Order: sequence, then C-alpha cells, then structure tokens
Amino acid sequence: MANDNPMDPAGWMATMQKAQGDLMRQWSELSTTWAGQAAPANAGPAAAAGSSQAGADVARRFMGQFEQYLGVTRSVWELLGKAASAAPEQRAQSFSDGLMALQNQFAAMFAPVMGAGAVPNPWQGLGAAFGGLPGAAAQWPFSMPGAMPGWPSQSAAPWMSWPAALGPAREQQETWQRLATLGSRYAQAQTSLATQWNQIITTALRDLGTKLTPRLQSGSMPASMKEIYDLWVETAEGAYSQAAHGAAFMSAQAELSNAMSQLRIAQRELFEEWARQFDLPTRAELNTLHQQMRQFTSALQKLGGL
Amino acid sequence: MAATPVEEIQDYQRKLSASLNTLRGAAGVEFGCSEKDAVYSEGKLTLYRYRARAERRNFPPVLIVYALVNRPYMMDLQPDRSVIRRLLDLGIDVYLIDWGYPDGADRFVELNDYINGYIDRCVTQILTAHALPSVNLLGVCQGGAFSLCYTALHPQRVRNLITMVTPVDFHTPENLLAKWVRELDVDALVDAYGVVPGDVLNAAYVSLMPFRLLQQKYVNLLDVAEDQTQMDNFVRMEKWIFDSPDQAGAAFRQFARWFFQENRLMHGTLEIGGQRVDLRQIRQPVLNIFGKQDHLVPPSASRPLERLTGSNDYTALEMSVGHIGMYVSGRAQTELPQKILQWLETR
Repeated sequence: MANDNPMDPAGWMATMQKAQGDLMRQWSELSTTWAGQAAPANAGPAAAAGSSQAGADVARRFMGQFEQYLGVTRSVWELLGKAASAAPEQRAQSFSDGLMALQNQFAAMFAPVMGAGAVPNPWQGLGAAFGGLPGAAAQWPFSMPGAMPGWPSQSAAPWMSWPAALGPAREQQETWQRLATLGSRYAQAQTSLATQWNQIITTALRDLGTKLTPRLQSGSMPASMKEIYDLWVETAEGAYSQAAHGAAFMSAQAELSNAMSQLRIAQRELFEEWARQFDLPTRAELNTLHQQMRQFTSALQKLGGL
Repeated sequence: MAATPVEEIQDYQRKLSASLNTLRGAAGVEFGCSEKDAVYSEGKLTLYRYRARAERRNFPPVLIVYALVNRPYMMDLQPDRSVIRRLLDLGIDVYLIDWGYPDGADRFVELNDYINGYIDRCVTQILTAHALPSVNLLGVCQGGAFSLCYTALHPQRVRNLITMVTPVDFHTPENLLAKWVRELDVDALVDAYGVVPGDVLNAAYVSLMPFRLLQQKYVNLLDVAEDQTQMDNFVRMEKWIFDSPDQAGAAFRQFARWFFQENRLMHGTLEIGGQRVDLRQIRQPVLNIFGKQDHLVPPSASRPLERLTGSNDYTALEMSVGHIGMYVSGRAQTELPQKILQWLETR
C-alpha cells in the first residue's frame, strides 16, 4: 500500500490532507454542538456561526503546528531515506547536501519564531482586532510603512530625498520625511535580523547533519518522526543560543526594537498634531495632568493626608 | 515495533482531535486556590493576608513581595501546586502584595514609589496589625531585588530576609535577557509606549528559547491531549505565562537602566529616592534560594549576594529546578516550604 511507504510523497500528502480534513470536520461538528448548548434560545444562527468560526480558527492554528512539525520531520526523513539508498561512501555527503538545500524551506517554516523578541509592531494589536471584522484585511495595518492611515502610498524613498522644505508647509513636510526615514531604518533593521536568523537556520541544519550522519552510517536510524523533530529542536536551540549570545545578533535585535520605538514616537507626534487640530485630548496633555496629580498626591502624603 | 510515519501522523491527528475536547473543557479553568482577605489597598495595589490552614507559628508573618512583571498567583496556582498553601499548612502567617495591572495613569510611577512607598506602607500595615517592630520579607525574582533595596534602606523593619530566584549581578555571561537589554534604547522604548506592554516582555521571555517555547511545547502538549487534568494544568500555566501586566514606564526605565544596563545593585551605586542602596546594611539573616536550571535568573546572577550583604548569617539554597519549577515543581512543593520553615524557626 502506497501510504505504508514512508518515503512516498503521495502517501504523505494524502495522509496530511485527510488528517487536516478530518480535523476541520470534527471541529466544525463540535463547535456547532457547543454553540447549540451555549447560546440562548433566542440567540439565533449568528451566535452559532460565530462560535463555529472561532473554533475553525483554533483548528487552523493547531494545523499550523501540525504542518510545521510534519514539515521538519518529513523533510529530514526523506533525506535520510535517500541517503540510505546511496552508495555507502556517498551517504554522508548526500545527506549533508540535502540538509543544506532545506535552508529556504526551513527559514520560511520558522518565520513566525524569528524575531519573536523584537518589540512588536505598534499596529499589531490593532490589526488583530480589525482583522476579525467582516471585510477587514487580516493584517491591516500590520505591514509597514505603507499601511498607516494617511501614509503616502508610494515608496518612502522620494520623501527622504526631497530638499529642505520652505514655506508654510515645511513643518509637515519634515514630519513626513522623518517618518519615511524612520520607516526605512525599521525595514533595514528587519532585514539585518532576518540575516541573523538565516545564519542560525544554516548552522542548525549543519549541526543536525553532524548529529545524524554517524547514525546514518551505522544504520541506527531515528525510531520515529518525533525523535527527529526533538533532535531538530535541540539542535536549533543550540545554534540559536550560540548566536543570541553574540554581538551581531544582539545588535540586530536591539536595533529592530530601537527603530520601532523611534517610529512609534514619530507616528504619535503626527497623531497628536491631528488631535490638536480637532481640539481632542492628546497624550502630552494627559501626561501633564498625570504629573500634576503625582505632585498633589506627594504633597498630601507629606502632610499625612494619604 | 516502531510506528510507521503514516501511523504517527494518524496518531497525531487522533490526539489533535481529542485535544479539541479537552481544551474546550479547560476553557474556564480556575487558578489561585487558597483563601485570602484583602487587608489594605492603595491605587491598584492590594495587600492580602492568607487565611490560616494550621495553627500559626509564633514568629512574625512573612510578606511576599512578588515581581511586577508577572502575576503573583503563580505562588498559589492550584492546590497541588502552591508554595503558599504549603507554607500555610506549616503554620506560617503569609501576606502577599498584589501589584495589580498598571495602566496609562501609572506611567510616572517610579521605583522609589514601589520600594519606599508601596512596600513600606504594606509593611506598616502588618507591623501595626501585629504590634511588631519587624516583619519577615520574602522577595521573588524582581520582587527579590526590591526586597534587597527595601531591607538595605529600612533594615530595622525587616527581621529576616528571604530572596527567591533573585538577580543581583545582572552582567554574568549566562544572562541572555540582560545582554539583550544592554543595547536597548530604554528611553525610546518607554517614550514610545508610556506603559510598557506585558506582551513586549513576553516576547522577550519566549525568545530566550523560541523553538521550545513557541513550538515544541505545543507539539508535546498532544501527549497529554486526552487527559483533562493535565490539559487543565497546561492551560493554567499558559494563562499565567501570558498574563503579564503592563509596566509603569518610569519604573521600567529605571529598572532596565540601573539594574540591567548599569548593574548598580552589584556595584553599590544604586540610589532609590535619593538614598544609596548599600547591601552591606543588610545585617539580618538572609536565605537566598535559586534554581540550578533557571534560564531567566541564572544561578550566577543570584550567588554574588553572599559577598555583598553585611549579614554574618547567610544561607544559600540551590535547588535543582528552573525558574518556574521553583513555584510549581514537585520538589518545590515538598522541600521548599519545609526549608523555609526550618530556617525561620531557628532565627
């Protein structure tokens, strides 16, 4: 039977697709049942549909982990199979070459992990909140810098290269130029950190090969996909830890956070300018009030009143 | 016989299906198990006294000063994972400061407010209620650093000092978190956020071991997918891990700069509220508890306390646990409270 052959790509895909389909179906049935139990009698089908949708999201996230887990193990397992069928003197080289060819695939697979320690994009929470609304783009306005409301839709580069501003609109032009510069700095910082991460993945794949090659040559192959996965995680954490303690990674990570902070500050200044034009309260105004409250409280405490 | 890959996938899928039901069952899981009474509140802070579960011992109460960066219910997560409950079972009178959830109105709250303000007023409440001159202080993690500062600044008000998983030297080679903070533009970060979101801190914590904490942990979860109790435990822990309060900006700025970047506590150059924090002023008995496998506060960050305090009654208790294991591991439940009791009883 094709599915019993672990190296048969068609078998893998069929099993994967069946597993995914089964899970989504089961979740759909469960969430419909739960919605029926939980919703008041007059809540109507919308409540059930909402619960079902939330359930589907959970199932999709689960499947994401599932696919990532299988993606790692399947790729390595297949490589081991190919290498095992090569001539004995070529096995190590075949396996090692195959692992290095996985660089892009693994980098894409672990993209959600990369840069997890960087300061989150300020729009992330807003984007997630709006992403759930009908018709909203799931990532709005997550992508930077073009997605900010009012942000120029064209490339930021022309703004950065404009000459010094003159006339009544010069302050506004400088604000936009500053935002464009900071947006560019942020993008560069993302690229630098991604480069670090690509190096980590390369090192991890190389180290995985170093660990598995002796087993390949001695014929003591991993007993399960989970064993391969755990070995990958251990190896990847080792490579990551070594890099994360290094100056290059630390600088890249700090620069991403620092660039993001500066960009947020500049964006808030822009919003504050708009708010002032509509006589709306601003952060600066609230800060002044908070400081005054602190002074009053401190004075009262000194008098023994609090 | 080993399962084939296809069988493994099918097994994985079966566990995934089972986990949907157990996760559903864990949706309303509760945490925090021991009965307590609010005895003082101020702003977002609440001082709790736990109700006795055994006849109380004849020594001053223990005030637990927890970190600002996580919620204190980790010390009392569930009946079989509660250091506080075990302390109560041993007859120890326990108070705890719950800092609450700071918001935008707290952005200018400083370390001086926390240490010389909130902690001091909580100590006053306890000393007044019990007609005592001094209290036993138990500081945890960042709360341990606060407790060191408080004891150094108000030595007459602390009878015995216990520090748990407390960093003192922030510049040891193993301390990855501290290394990352060193190049951070803390001023820009605080100016950008006002109050620093707990999500930012969480992102830093999980990125210390991203493959394990963001992926493998959830793959391994499927091994207990059909066990409702274990799923409840997992969700309870998950709740605590990601239930991180936002940080008052001014205090965060000071802590990151003075402790993480400039290592002032270690160098004796720290000032709080205009007063120098001299750890040699800590002459009372000190019990310093830390975990051998702690990746957040490595043992090397805690050990230097021994040579920094002025105490001639210093005890180090090094346990074979990690940072979180210090609160919830089986060893923590059986050994830790007993050791604390023995130490307190003889002082």
